Amino acid sequence: MVASSNRSGALRHGEVIETSTVGFLAESDRLHHLPQLGELVQARIDDDLTAYAVVSFGETSGIDPGRRAVRRGSPDSADNDVYARHPELDHVLRTIFRTAAVGYAQDGRIRHALPPVPVPLHFGVQPCDEDDVRAFCERTDYLASLLAYRGEVAAEQLVAAHLRWVDATLDDDHEWLGRACRTLARLMKRDYDRLVILLESIDPDNS
Amino acid sequence: MTLDLARIAGQIAAMVADLHPDDQRERFAALEHTWETIDGADIRSRLDGAKHSFLLPAPQDSYNERHPLPAPREAYCVAATDGSFILPSRHNPARYYLLNTGLVRLEYGPEPRALLDSEPILKFGEDELMIGSPVHRIPVNGTNIGPKRAAEELRAAANLLADAPEPALALQDGTLILWALETLPEPVAAWTLPGFLEAMAWFRDYQIPLASYVSAPGTREIVNLMRIAICDYPPAGKKINCDECRGRILSEGHSPACDIIPEVTDRFFFESIEPLEPGERSAIFQSTSQILDRYCADGSTDFRIDYFYLNVGLEIGRVEIPHWVSKQPELVDFVHWAVYDQCERGRGYPVALQEAHELAVLSTADRLVMEIAIERELARHGIVLTYTGKDGSKRGRFV
Repeated sequence: MVASSNRSGALRHGEVIETSTVGFLAESDRLHHLPQLGELVQARIDDDLTAYAVVSFGETSGIDPGRRAVRRGSPDSADNDVYARHPELDHVLRTIFRTAAVGYAQDGRIRHALPPVPVPLHFGVQPCDEDDVRAFCERTDYLASLLAYRGEVAAEQLVAAHLRWVDATLDDDHEWLGRACRTLARLMKRDYDRLVILLESIDPDNS
Repeated sequence: MTLDLARIAGQIAAMVADLHPDDQRERFAALEHTWETIDGADIRSRLDGAKHSFLLPAPQDSYNERHPLPAPREAYCVAATDGSFILPSRHNPARYYLLNTGLVRLEYGPEPRALLDSEPILKFGEDELMIGSPVHRIPVNGTNIGPKRAAEELRAAANLLADAPEPALALQDGTLILWALETLPEPVAAWTLPGFLEAMAWFRDYQIPLASYVSAPGTREIVNLMRIAICDYPPAGKKINCDECRGRILSEGHSPACDIIPEVTDRFFFESIEPLEPGERSAIFQSTSQILDRYCADGSTDFRIDYFYLNVGLEIGRVEIPHWVSKQPELVDFVHWAVYDQCERGRGYPVALQEAHELAVLSTADRLVMEIAIERELARHGIVLTYTGKDGSKRGRFV
């Protein structure tokens, strides 16, 4: 597997504001604009090392935890009108997303393992293009670490969201999805009930 | 927690019961009647040669007019600034003070946008920590920094609006009357007033209205005026003389006529006795605070402070404006509408001031970060800090 070269910061989802070995929390550059649940994203650690992570949670709330959001709209002024009427909201609210680390690329090689060091704080989080996704997801063994995810979202929900997102990104007549499902069937052979629920939720013919 | 609430629960109940005595109804009726019949010419003649100690609005032709909410503006710009500070501490080895000003500029209209920022200024060194001449030096402290902060806030508001689209309004929190100067020594006024007046002049020169908003105002100038209006000395052919009148309470068992006027604030008056409707404002009154004489050093009355009461929907607020603004009806209408609109957007308090306050506030964590930064810088110069016993006990609490 060979990773594509990293992009510059011009195109990015946001910036890392909390970081650890198992993933990072990032703040979106624009309010309400965040990568999808299950989306594969990347963040540069240094010139030869790039971390890959799957978006596992998103949230929009007040920057100051002591200030709760209150209703601003009315039947006459709702949704986007609220933001036009309160331009300060763009500055006092923020959108954040959490990710689960699933691998890294070092010296051009992709590994499905936790990165050796966390992504530095305040580094950018970039989207992965189709080539990045194809390269990273070529082997599907990293799904084991996603299945073991513990966080705000149940692991099956996260895996299902990721499979749907990769399937839509690759647009390969579900060839990759079929392989990923076989990997899941192997990984979850002792948990048939959960596997069935997961597979049903990603059935492309039902979506 | 050290407050033993159970011990004062009974007193709290008694205090609250005392707030609404039923016997006030008659006094409220007297207040209402006096207001309805108040006459500008009568007040002028009553005040001629009067001796009293009330703070009153300057005499004017009409007092009890009301003005409905003016037509809305689709687009306008508002700037608000608010400050907080860290004072020099004798427990801290480094001597400094810090002023932090929250800056907010909001633009409404077809392309709404916002600017939120804060501007910290660190002052240190003997020259900046001491006010006055080398002969009579006054250290900067919690009292005299108040007017300095007000001057800085006004200067920052002027900077914010330097390239603002029209119409624009500068909003300040609290009063534009630097009351603290009344009791502070002359060098403090010399330290603060020129900067304050310079910023005031900037707004006038660029014709950008400036206003301050007082939430829950505690002033009683209008209610005091009613005491003048109800005084029974002028009908008896005597000049108003409060000292003489009150002196007769003990000597003759005299009942001053103005005692029928209840001890309520102007806010209560415009809320409950002569209620203003939401959006409605009172007449404009002119403050007669002696401090304002110092705002007119050049002989102009432009910077004297006038005020009106406004029902912003949730409460009666007091809006203060410089005299040059109140002389221009179209600017008054704009201030009237914009302050109401700001309160509506901010659920009862101007949203620009809310955000400026949030940006100004220095939390305990902010103060700690500041101290750590100073400690590190001193350490780089080989200076190790020692703390006083009291400061140390607060830093490391133990049992």
